[in-house]
Formats: sequence, C-alpha cells, structure tokens
Amino acid sequence: MPVTGPGSDYPLLRIGHLYASHLNVAGDGGNVVAIERRAAWRGIPTETLPIQVGEDHDLASFDLLFIQGGQDVEMAIVAEDLGRKAASFQRAVAAGSVIFAVCAGLQLLGHRYIPATGAAIEGIGLLDLETRGGDRRFMQHAACEVSFGDVPRTIVGFENHSGLTELGAGVRPFGRVIAGAGNNGRDGTEGAVSGTIYATYLHGPILPRNPWLADFLLRSALERRAGGPVSLSPLDDEAEDRSHAETERRALGNRGRRTALEPARLGRGLPAEADS
Amino acid sequence: MRSTWGHLRLGIALAAGKWAGVLSRWLRRGDGTSMPGLVARRIDPHVLTRLVADSGVPVIVVTGSNGKTTTGRMLTALLRAEGLDAQSNASGANLVQGVTTLAVEAADLRGRLSADVLVAEVDEGTLRQVVPELAPRVVLTLDLFRDQLDRFGELHAVSDALEASVRALSPDAVWISNADDPLLAYLAPERTERRVTFGLELDRSTDRITSAADSIRCPRCGTDLVYDRVYLSHLGAYACPACGLHRPSLDVAVTALELVGIAETRLTVRLPASELVLRIPQAGVHVAYDVAAALAVMVGLGIAPEHAAVALAEVRPAFGRLEVAQAGNRRIVLGFVKNPTSYNTTLHALASSDEPKQLLIAASNTPVDGEDFAWLWDVDFGVAAGLLERVTVSGTRADELANRLKYAGVDLRSLAVVTDRRRALDLALAGIPPGGQLTILAGYTPMLELRALMYERGWVGRLREA
Repeated sequence: MPVTGPGSDYPLLRIGHLYASHLNVAGDGGNVVAIERRAAWRGIPTETLPIQVGEDHDLASFDLLFIQGGQDVEMAIVAEDLGRKAASFQRAVAAGSVIFAVCAGLQLLGHRYIPATGAAIEGIGLLDLETRGGDRRFMQHAACEVSFGDVPRTIVGFENHSGLTELGAGVRPFGRVIAGAGNNGRDGTEGAVSGTIYATYLHGPILPRNPWLADFLLRSALERRAGGPVSLSPLDDEAEDRSHAETERRALGNRGRRTALEPARLGRGLPAEADS
Repeated sequence: MRSTWGHLRLGIALAAGKWAGVLSRWLRRGDGTSMPGLVARRIDPHVLTRLVADSGVPVIVVTGSNGKTTTGRMLTALLRAEGLDAQSNASGANLVQGVTTLAVEAADLRGRLSADVLVAEVDEGTLRQVVPELAPRVVLTLDLFRDQLDRFGELHAVSDALEASVRALSPDAVWISNADDPLLAYLAPERTERRVTFGLELDRSTDRITSAADSIRCPRCGTDLVYDRVYLSHLGAYACPACGLHRPSLDVAVTALELVGIAETRLTVRLPASELVLRIPQAGVHVAYDVAAALAVMVGLGIAPEHAAVALAEVRPAFGRLEVAQAGNRRIVLGFVKNPTSYNTTLHALASSDEPKQLLIAASNTPVDGEDFAWLWDVDFGVAAGLLERVTVSGTRADELANRLKYAGVDLRSLAVVTDRRRALDLALAGIPPGGQLTILAGYTPMLELRALMYERGWVGRLREA
C-alpha cells in the first residue's frame, strides 16, 4: 500500500460514526473506511468511534462526524435519540467539526421529515431544509457538479430515496444535478451544504469512488484539528478513478430518466457494455 | 369451456415456447431457462394460469433471499423419493419467464401437465406478479437478507411483498416459514392455522451478529432483539425485551449439526412424528436451514418423508454453490455470491485454511444482478485479504470490485482487472500450477457466463441436469 508523508507531522484525527448500527444501509460504512484508509496511506493517525443510540459523547471533540443512510424503521428510532444530541451537535458545528451526512442523515439534520401517512419525524434543524414522503422511489446511478472546492468537480453515486427535499434560504445545494433526481426530481439541486456540514443523497458509497471529495473532507477535518492549512500528499487513485468513470458513464446513460423502480427496465438506456 | 381460439392460442404459445427452448440451447443463447417462458407469454400472456391453476396440479412456491435453489432441489428429491413426479425450475431461473418456462416444459402441446407437483423457485421481486398466476398450494418463505437492495428499495418492501403473498393464499393452502428469521416471524400474524415453522435448536451459536446482519431489531416495536443463539447472520433464537415478541415454537427443528470440511453436513432433524439423522454432501449452516425447510414442506403436505436420508444424500451443491470442477489437472471451485451473507459464508470457508488462495471474482450490472453494488462494502473481504496470492476481477463492474478490494487491504500488485470473462478465466487459470486450485466467486450472470465457458471445454456438465 502506498504510504506517503511523515506520520509524526499530523495530529490524531478523531472520527465519530453516528448510529453505525442503526444507519448502515447501502454500504455507506465504506465512506468511513475510505477516510481511514486514505489517512493511513499518508501516515495520518485516525481514531474512529461508533456512537450508538443512547450513548452520550461530546460531539465537538470530533473532527469529522458521519451520519448516513438508514431505513424508515431505523430512522424513526434515531430521530428520537438525535433530539437528545441536538445541543451537542450545535456545539460541534460551532467548533468547526466537519459533518458528512447521507440520505436519512441529510433528512434528520433538516427541520423535519413529513411522511405520506403518519406523524412527522422531527429533525434537529442544523440544515435549513424539509423533506416530504413521495410516492415513487428514485433508484439509479446519479451525477452532480459541486463547486465548494477549488474548481467545479463531478461527483457520482447511486441514489435510492423516495423523500422529496426542499432547500430553504439558509443552505446552498451540495451540487447541481447532471444525471439523476437530486433532492426532489424537480429543481436540479442535490444535497445541501452549510458551513462545514456536507449532506448528499448519494450512496455508492460515494467517498471511495470520489477520492477528491474524500480528500476534501479529510483535509478540512485535519485543518480543523491543526488550526491551520494542511496539504495532503497525492495518492495513486487509478482504481478510484476507474470506479468514478464507470459510475459516471452509467449515470449519464440514465440522464432524463427519473425513476427505475421496475427491475426489467434497469438495463435499458445504457450504452453498449465496455467489454473488449 | 375455453374457446377454440383460446385452445389454439395456448397450443401455439406452447409449441413456440418449446421450440424457443430447443433453439436457445442449441445456439447456446443462455441455457434455455427463460426463453420458452418469454416466447410463450408473448403469444399467450395467461399461459401460466391456463397451464397451472386450471390443471389442478399443486404448486409449491419457494422464495426468500438465500437458499431457494438448494432447497428446491432438496424438496424435489424428497418428493421424487416418495414416488411423485416433481418438476422444478432447478437452475435458478426464478423471474416470471423462468417460472413460466417450468410450466411450458412440463406441459404437452394440448396444455396438459404430466407432473404430479411443480416446485417453483420464485424471486422475491416477482412474487406479487407470479403468485396470483400460480395459485400455489404451499408457499415457503426461507429468509430475508439484504439482497439487491436497489431492486426493492428497502428490506421492508420485500417483507411487505412476502406478507401480501401469504395473505393472498387460499384458506386451504399452507405457509411454511423460517421461525429463526425475526422479519418473517412477524408477518401475517393473524394466520396461525395451516402454518408450519422450521429452524435450528442447537446447544450453541454458530455465528455472531456482525455489521452485515440485517433486521436485528424487533419488527414489531423497533427495540434491539436479544439473541439466545445466533446461527447464521440474523437468524437465531431471539426475543424482544420490550414487547415480548419471540421466536415461535418450531414444528421442524435441526437439533444437532456437524460440518465436515467443505463437503458434508451431518444433522439430526426433529419432525412432529419422527426424527431423522441425515448426511448431506454439501457443507454449511445454511444447508441445515435448507434441509429443515424442505422437510417442513413435506410436513405441510402431509407426506411422510420415509426415504429422506437416501434422497438427500444425493443432493449435490446447486449451480455455483461451492461446486467443484476439474479443469485438466487443475481444480476450480465455483462460489455463487449475490449478497454480503453469501460472500461472507464463502470467504469464511476459504479463510479456514491458511494456504495462499487464487481467486477470480466477477460482478456485472444486469437486470438480474442489480445496478447497485454498494453492498460489496458490507462484505468482510478483510478475513481473506492476507491470504490472497492473486486475484483477477472481472465482469462489467470489475472496476467496483477492484476498488473495494483495494480498500479491504488487498495488495494491488496481486490484482488484475480483466472485464472480459473469457480472458479473465484464461488469465486466472494460467497462474494456477498443476494440482492447484482456482476459486471463482461470481454473481448470477457472470457465473452463467463462466460456467458456459467451462462447459465448452468439457469441465462441467449442463446446467439443467437436475
């Protein structure tokens, strides 16, 4: 494995994996692995703590927090617990902790989730957004363009949600939809960003196939810990780039298609196989 | 009375379907497992109902995430051993075309079925469509794992489909269900009659709860379940400390289990009226579940499985379930993998010996295999990473496999990415010394493709040999 950069130059990076047991669908755990590995390959020490329902931690002591996808049943359980962690979350935001949220995590960091039937699930309102239950599920490869880095970048992943999210004035979109449904299949926005909170609907998991984004989050978290600019040594990203390119190709094959509920239709509309 | 046109149409549909099967096998376009059904349905969309529901031949539907094919084979063997002509879609073609193929091939040109009973393996996503057409006498629900999440959205969507199928059963039909799976145990709670449960009742756990395990929360109230025993992933003896939901009592129970290498399972099964001691020529805790499920169906049908020991001793691994083939003086072990559980089961078996391994792993995006391979990140590749001497990744998602293996700690210098299946097989085999072994782990479609290549070379038999 490529190991570059002197280890002793970096402080220990503290990662909090919120609800690792309840919110763990769609391989999102791979995002945490991506950060850990990309840090380790550079000799950057990390420590990851799973934070479960009922556990009390000072979230501001973490440099990077993950809150990711889950199913409806788990989401309701987490929402109740999250309410008790809201103040701690606010302190973490004030202290500049980097927060990465996916799907259910995005919805729970918003004001609320209003299902088609039943009572609303209250979020903690760190993000100015609200989600309503929709009557169809968006399931497809997707791509968007993000502009919070030095230059615009294409981020790719797989979306799998039925909630329709509307952004308020207090957040910017995470990205602009290139292919896929984004937040609601209508306004071309994907995810949300506010300060050091980055929230997206994209699974995949996305960080292993978007190494630039993984490094952006890693660097932001390290800079928070170090209190100043940090530069990361480059890695050999051939495998990551190949996964990115193939996901992007499949996402572009889906362009214009808004839903893919019916399995038989999934294979259609794709360009010819890249087989030799 | 059916109209003359109805008869004619059915006859044309059957003739065309049967011919399509012959042609597709002859042309080697697939194995002829879907084409007859596809063609027959184009001509007569009601062909399945006309053949099955109208004929009165009982249908047994086998569904669930894992074990459908193996259980179907065991059940067919049990039924045949008791003198019944049982026909099944044994090659795993379990979407609507495959199920229709089963009926088309079992019928003569006038639409009369020659079989005494049909064993239909049905994909979970196809249940809603197929069950009303089949009007089954028995539905067997095996288990619910996180299988191809993108096809169904969420696990709960699959359990909803299973529940709807159970609720749609006629009152005299029987529901056979795995009591060790918490998600199944709370389905259709109002149906207490004509329900047969099966599971394991061992004096020890054979697995532990890991991150790959699904549905370890109470399906009724959401509290974390407490397990007295864990047998396989989330299957076990469980209870909810909050609402009191617990594993139902077992009508058919495996009471003793011993795994012998990767080749044999010895077990004792308690039935309502007897006890069986069995030896099965394939290994795994999942095999014990498959045996219990097949025997539970016999209990549900009211047929004493008197020749079970002999019948089951002949059931070799199904398509790609650690099937062993000889390629000249090299051995190939085929492992069909489609979700974290099947991957982990196979990887743990591989890691049980510490000699270096050579692997060919293949995954492809297809309607059957799914579009989203995020679940690869729930697979515990780490257990074997240190033992991998050489890995060839293939299929249309070779890119994804390579990246996943990289992050699992597999040395990139030992990894070759070859999308094309034929070239991948050749390259992987070229690295195997005489007397050595190549292990292939592949999803459904790439496994079919690799198996077809091996068939061409005379290393394996036809798929439809069951």
